[in-house]
Amino acid sequence: MPSDAKGLSSLLLAVADDELIIGHRHSEWTGWAPHIEEDIAFSSIAQDEIGHANLFYKLLSEVDGRTPDEIALGRQRGEYRHAIVCERPNGDWAYTLARHFLYDSAEQVRLEAFAESSHSPLSDVSEKLLREERYHRFHAEAWLERLANGPVEGRHQISAALISAMRDAVGLFEPIEDEEVALADKVMPNTSEELLQKWLTEVTKRIESAGIVLDLASKDGAELLPTSSGELPQPLEDTTQPASISYRDGRWVLDGTLSGFGGRRGAHSEDFTALWDDLTRTYREAPAATW
Amino acid sequence: MTYEDKLAEFKARIDSKDKIETNDWMPDEYRDAVLKFIEMHANSEIMGALPEREWIPRAPSLRRKMSLTAKVQDEVGHAQLLYRVAEDLGKSRESMFEDLINGRTKFHNVFHYPTEHWGDVAIIGWLIDGAALVTQRALLDCSYAPYTRVMRRICSEEQLHLRHGEDITLELANGTERQRWMFQDGLDRWWEPIMHFFGPPSNPAKDVLLRWGIKSKNNEELRGEFLDHYVPRILDLGFQIPDTGLHFDESTGHWVPGEIDWTIFWKIVKGEGPSTQARLSMRRKVWDHHRWVREALSEPLWSAA
Amino acid sequence: MQVWEVFQQKGHTDAYAHVGSVLAPDPLMAMSYAKECFFRRKEGMGLWVVRRADVHQSTDHGLLEQVTDKSYRYPEAYRGVVAKRELARAKFAPASAPRRAAAVAGDDF
Repeated sequence: MPSDAKGLSSLLLAVADDELIIGHRHSEWTGWAPHIEEDIAFSSIAQDEIGHANLFYKLLSEVDGRTPDEIALGRQRGEYRHAIVCERPNGDWAYTLARHFLYDSAEQVRLEAFAESSHSPLSDVSEKLLREERYHRFHAEAWLERLANGPVEGRHQISAALISAMRDAVGLFEPIEDEEVALADKVMPNTSEELLQKWLTEVTKRIESAGIVLDLASKDGAELLPTSSGELPQPLEDTTQPASISYRDGRWVLDGTLSGFGGRRGAHSEDFTALWDDLTRTYREAPAATW
Repeated sequence: MTYEDKLAEFKARIDSKDKIETNDWMPDEYRDAVLKFIEMHANSEIMGALPEREWIPRAPSLRRKMSLTAKVQDEVGHAQLLYRVAEDLGKSRESMFEDLINGRTKFHNVFHYPTEHWGDVAIIGWLIDGAALVTQRALLDCSYAPYTRVMRRICSEEQLHLRHGEDITLELANGTERQRWMFQDGLDRWWEPIMHFFGPPSNPAKDVLLRWGIKSKNNEELRGEFLDHYVPRILDLGFQIPDTGLHFDESTGHWVPGEIDWTIFWKIVKGEGPSTQARLSMRRKVWDHHRWVREALSEPLWSAA
Repeated sequence: MQVWEVFQQKGHTDAYAHVGSVLAPDPLMAMSYAKECFFRRKEGMGLWVVRRADVHQSTDHGLLEQVTDKSYRYPEAYRGVVAKRELARAKFAPASAPRRAAAVAGDDF
């Protein structure tokens, strides 16, 4: 156990919240997916992510004192530390798949790093989760392959969706709070910046090999569908300055306004307001109760 | 053989409890009846997912969030199994979906209602799945074999759902005042739809489904089975059943409901349930938007080179 | 999109059994969907998917019928050995019965 658990706590909270919020979003497709067999498959992925969150909250509970459910469902909006990309509404199937691909690639990079963590419960859990993640990545890549190499409309849809999702997904590697402490303890073996570099190399290679060009300045965004509760969400904010991700002098450089940052400090978008309300509604009706 | 001979031979098979397989000769009347029945069942599973999945985002614990997702996943799984059986009888999934979202085919009454809070999850998981299990067990003896094979899997999963639903119910029953209120409030709203679920009394002589061995029990019998099993269990928990005419008949040894008002039931049959149009129009929107996905799935992969 | 028949093997000593079918566009997605539909509760350790077009079903009921007597293929046809064994023993067994080891596996009758 590290002498100062601050770094460990921040790390676990960020990762657990990412898993919970994206699992929550994925689970919203249950009953609605565009192909019944796919509905069943994606529902398992949703359950996996929520299960992963539970495992990380359990690790956190050991240093925190609150129960996993209290941590997961008992906080105010500003106390959540997930990346903004996770809270975006599902939009349509293209956006969901694009986000799924980017998120699970990030998970892979992250878990591989944490498998070397000085905190052995974390390294054990990370190794275990990598086995489930293999299937998530297979699923995302099979869809990316199929859409990129299939009929024209599917190609347009996935390209536009990758652009939309990428603008926010970089926020997955926003530095966590107390990152210096986590690094000093080697609880976190690599910096967020190092992980971002690794992730960008992998996803851009994968996307390019599927024959897709990521021009983030493009005005195309994914067309948004009503959320499964029936309400039409506001379209994603149009970034006013052109954004880009380019490779210069041996590293990836982010320019312009990318919308996905702030989550690691608890600064979330309007999208999280309705999500938090849903997520915590029943729990808040009787916080001390068992269900 | 003449058509009449084949028909007589087929009827004899049904009457002797023989099982019919997909590639057997069958009269159109049989094929149409069994297809329509299974299609409605499949529709009910996919539409039934909708009221329940509202509560996945709002589940009060991580474990319930996962277990409710798994439960609704099972229901979608049932839809998959049933649509496959219906497809093999000669109607494409595309056609069935189009007919469903355009109101040309039906789904069970209970899935036309809104939900309001976690109490509804308990009611649906315990009592509605309980009602479904009563009717589905009776279908294990159906003359159409492919249907009975999927029913075996469906019934065993519904057994699990029942345990899950009862578990949720008992947490509410043993919980805070607010939690007990949630269950009672749900019961007050859902009792009538559950009574309607078994269908109105029908004339056995005119029942095509009974004649072809597709159904083996009539609606009254099934409703009675449900009442005998669940009424005592609900009363044991100290809840009130909103039916002043409900009573135990000493002479027959069975629970008997009060007078059932079928008005809302008939409205639902015409597509005028409280949530019918909202749910179907949402399905239509998602279906129409995702034509490109169906297109992408229908083609074999070709490489860009 | 095609229909894929799904076969499942429970354990090493079990044969693959047909459990249902899925609609999928290629073998990998068919396997993925089959796993989701039929293996959620660890029902098996082995999975095959086969295009329906590659499954050939016999519709000739006569093919599987057994017309003439083939009772010699079944163990029941050999129950008579008990009586024959006794007959031989009565006539030819030596005065002192041969020693017998403890029961051996395979001693049916």
